[in-house]
Amino acid sequence: MDNLNIGRHISGQFNEDLERIINHVMHMGGLVEKQLADALTSVCDADEELAKKVLENDYQINNAEVSIDDECTRIIAKRQPAAGDLRLVMAIVKTITDLERIGDEAGKIANVTLESLSGKHKDLLSNLDNLGRHVLTFLQSTLDAFTRMDYDAAVKVHKSDDKIDREYEALMRQLMTYMMEDPRSIPQVMSVIWSARALERIGDRCQNICEYIIYFVKGRDVRHTTAEDFQSLSK
Amino acid sequence: MISVTPKNLSEHNVKLDLNNLSPEQVALEIRNLDLYYGNKQALQNISMSIPKGQVTAFIGPSGCGKSTLLRCINRMNDLVDTCKIEGQINLHGENIYDRHTDVAALRRKVGMVFQRPNPFPKSIYENVVYGLRITGENNRRVLDEAVENALRSAALWNEVKDRLHESALGLSGGQQQRLVIARAIAIKPEVLLLDEPTSALDPISTLTIEELINDLKKQFTVVIVTHNMQQAARVSDQTAFMYMGDLIEYSDTNTLFTTPLKKKTEDYITGRYG
Repeated sequence: MDNLNIGRHISGQFNEDLERIINHVMHMGGLVEKQLADALTSVCDADEELAKKVLENDYQINNAEVSIDDECTRIIAKRQPAAGDLRLVMAIVKTITDLERIGDEAGKIANVTLESLSGKHKDLLSNLDNLGRHVLTFLQSTLDAFTRMDYDAAVKVHKSDDKIDREYEALMRQLMTYMMEDPRSIPQVMSVIWSARALERIGDRCQNICEYIIYFVKGRDVRHTTAEDFQSLSK
Repeated sequence: MISVTPKNLSEHNVKLDLNNLSPEQVALEIRNLDLYYGNKQALQNISMSIPKGQVTAFIGPSGCGKSTLLRCINRMNDLVDTCKIEGQINLHGENIYDRHTDVAALRRKVGMVFQRPNPFPKSIYENVVYGLRITGENNRRVLDEAVENALRSAALWNEVKDRLHESALGLSGGQQQRLVIARAIAIKPEVLLLDEPTSALDPISTLTIEELINDLKKQFTVVIVTHNMQQAARVSDQTAFMYMGDLIEYSDTNTLFTTPLKKKTEDYITGRYG
């Protein structure tokens, strides 16, 4: 929380309000991370119980989003935050939307487990496992950068989304080949494609969160920019 | 289909480059201004350009020099014996601190409204025409017209048109403050200085005055000192943050309140310990 500097307001109550919100966001991040890890384990181990648990637990993330949103609205109404405080509140409001969507994507992956692939197609999942691990690490690094509001880490993580995109494309090519070779496998392969797509979307959402970190720290909006513009804007 | 891009949305907030204003855009130019009360320096090397037809706010903690700077603009500090001023303030390219400046004429061009409403113990009508009478205007028709225009501009006409000849002291605080603004604008100044114009008013009267400020900038250049940061954020186009006699940061209000460049500004506007 080094960059947050939230303990220095003259109003102790304001400090407490902001600290509470940050803690809630971290807690929500922890939940999302666990949901994704469990969803991936459930897919790879064909653990239906775990998949059901992931789907059941999604409500916790939804509740967290609603309650953090509510707290942010209250802060805006009562404190009229400015400058860094305002950017922090805006970054939080946007971050939790992306976190909630990541939770939904984890649910989609858990659903694939429940569609139970036959043993014959199990090897399809090993590739998904690799992509999943990378996305999970990506999410962890993003949350880590958010916790510390670490600008350098956010820029670095933002860039590494390219790797995930490349891996996703490679997996897609592989799955298409699979479908061409054995059209009967299409329904199963489609399930894997949905999961891969969910993982790729999680990568994009993490990238969004990195952009909010950059916005908070530097006050620059780097959304929807080309790679070159991103380089120059995020300096 | 109408495309609403962020560019379109922000078009109504045209951002001026305050360091590179063209001469036509500048209402006042303050250059290397130092001010001393006795041995104590209250303003240090202030340089800034105040754009025409816009609202510029000065904010900062008590004693930072914002009111002193505002008072320099129509030479109110001349009334303080121990006050010594160096540097320039240019209005239309002419230094108002030049030896040959006619101070009374200057104050006709640069009107001022203070924290507490200070109507004269006369009728509403006489308050508004006071400045015009001093300049020798006695034509009833001209005065009547001036009263109506000034009171309309100050958003007070509808409330007082039936009692123009009653005492101004019978008006509420918010109405008195608008009356004082009407009195200031009746003589058609170029610049209007407002020194904490709403700090003695209730929130609704405050909003009325803020709305009025927004209308006034179509005709005048407005410079406002305020303790209320949200007010500066609401009403001004440019904001200058001052601290202990220094101009710390001066930029367009949207930037200053979202992404200030200086840490001191950030600490002040977010309510942190300096």
